[in-house]
Amino acid sequence: MKTEKMAIEINNMTKNYGKHRGVKDLNLHVERGDIYGFLGPNGAGKSTTIRSLLGLLRFQKGSASIFGMDVRCRQKEILKEIGYMPSEAMFYPSMRVKEVIRLAADLRGQDCRREADRLCERLAVDTDKKIEELSLGNRKKVSIVCAMQHKPQLFIFDEPTSGLDPLMQAEFFKLVLEYNRQGTTCFLSSHVLTEIKRYCRHAAIIKEGEVIRTDTVENLTRTNSRRIHMIRDGREESFLYQGSLNELFAGFAGHDIADITIEEPALDEIFMHYYDEEDRQSEESADMQ
Amino acid sequence: MTNRKQIKKHITLYRHEMKRNIKTISVWTLSVGLLCLGCILLYTSLEDSIQEMAASFSDLGAVSAALGMDKMSLTTLSGYYATEIAMMHGLGGAMFAAILGSGLLSKEESGHTTDFLYVMPVGRRYIVWSKYLALVSHIVIFNLVCTGFYLFGFAVMGEGISGTEMLLFHFASMLMQIEIGSVCFLLSACVKKNLIGAGIGIAILLFGMDMMCRIVPAIENLKYITPFYYANAADIFSNGTIDAVMAFTGAALTLVSVLAAWGIYERKDF
Repeated sequence: MKTEKMAIEINNMTKNYGKHRGVKDLNLHVERGDIYGFLGPNGAGKSTTIRSLLGLLRFQKGSASIFGMDVRCRQKEILKEIGYMPSEAMFYPSMRVKEVIRLAADLRGQDCRREADRLCERLAVDTDKKIEELSLGNRKKVSIVCAMQHKPQLFIFDEPTSGLDPLMQAEFFKLVLEYNRQGTTCFLSSHVLTEIKRYCRHAAIIKEGEVIRTDTVENLTRTNSRRIHMIRDGREESFLYQGSLNELFAGFAGHDIADITIEEPALDEIFMHYYDEEDRQSEESADMQ
Repeated sequence: MTNRKQIKKHITLYRHEMKRNIKTISVWTLSVGLLCLGCILLYTSLEDSIQEMAASFSDLGAVSAALGMDKMSLTTLSGYYATEIAMMHGLGGAMFAAILGSGLLSKEESGHTTDFLYVMPVGRRYIVWSKYLALVSHIVIFNLVCTGFYLFGFAVMGEGISGTEMLLFHFASMLMQIEIGSVCFLLSACVKKNLIGAGIGIAILLFGMDMMCRIVPAIENLKYITPFYYANAADIFSNGTIDAVMAFTGAALTLVSVLAAWGIYERKDF
């Protein structure tokens, strides 16, 4: 298992919920040691993919493996190597935080007290509180401890930072990077583009159940588009421009340009561009048919 | 070493489930146990009105038979126990088992804790069986404590009761509760929400079936469906045995329910 290069391999995975789409012919490959972002809007299929990997959902077609082990046959062995943080972070309301953390460790058959104490200190978790007294952010912190305390080989995080304050988000990613330096692979789904850009090396973009692009984050965020803000003939204008700047300036001839700013487009705009491009391609192929 | 670790994990799961239901079991055990104990202790002071009640019931024919009063006399504490107390205990126990069983699996989904429990390297099979073992343990504890209350009541009243019949009745009653709990456990495996109302409904429906099939000869065959039939105290106290065919049918239904619940849960999407 240790020699397996791929942490996650998904080939042509299809999962439908009755007549409703889950994911379709999904392919994804995450290398061991990577920090991999999984981007997409709500309902795109991110959680379906993750839940299928964890064995919570059974997919109809294709194959999926973690560290070379088929997720359908070797679920228990796989789950030993995974630290999972769900988007909702729900626990048993009447239990105390320390009881939940201890329960998670006991169910893994491991003594994780030292690591759990360290994580609770880093994340400022009050272990004496009852779960029902905690806010979403504090439940998320408990979830982080449960996912990390057994020092797994692979983290799977489903929208990990939602509900966490900015300080805790920073602390969370600091922890992720520390574990990653020790060899832990991290696969995280998000729709917060800035955190994907800052922390992930590779990313996949999913739309309506299909992966539409996978690449390094650097390549995905590189663009020759520019956001132009200007005052032309007394009118304020702002638009995304793709092409030669010489041609752009040539087009200004005969106009009164009072002010102009040229900047890189916002990260959101770059990703929206992938979605729009996909839509255009679909429309074009439909027209050709 | 691996096996020992695995057993430890299962004990953890079982203990976790036992702890989660501690309030439910305490409330139901004390409510049913103390209510029935109170009724036993009140027997002497209610003796006159009970005898009047027995006289008026004797005119009701089939209804009297449905309540077992044609076999046991209310004029003795044993008869009062076999007809009135046993009915309260049976119905209370059945509702308790139904409430527990109907939420045991589905509460993980309705409480959104599947994302915690089912990503632990334990295996669904062990989760299902640990939960079922906890259900059976709760029912056994409920019956042991309640029987203790009733024996205490008899001791206070200074009256003896046939140990064999008492043991047989409580064994049959426990089988009946396990059967109802198992059917509700199966129901719990099929849904994503807690169906406690449906569980209580099943218990009451089966109780009603028992009464009806004793009154109306045309629907006598309902006795093969309702477990209240073989757990009827008046029958057991008067015959000195449990109807073995009915009890085996009940045990078979219990087994089928649990195996079906397991099969469904192994394939379920969360």
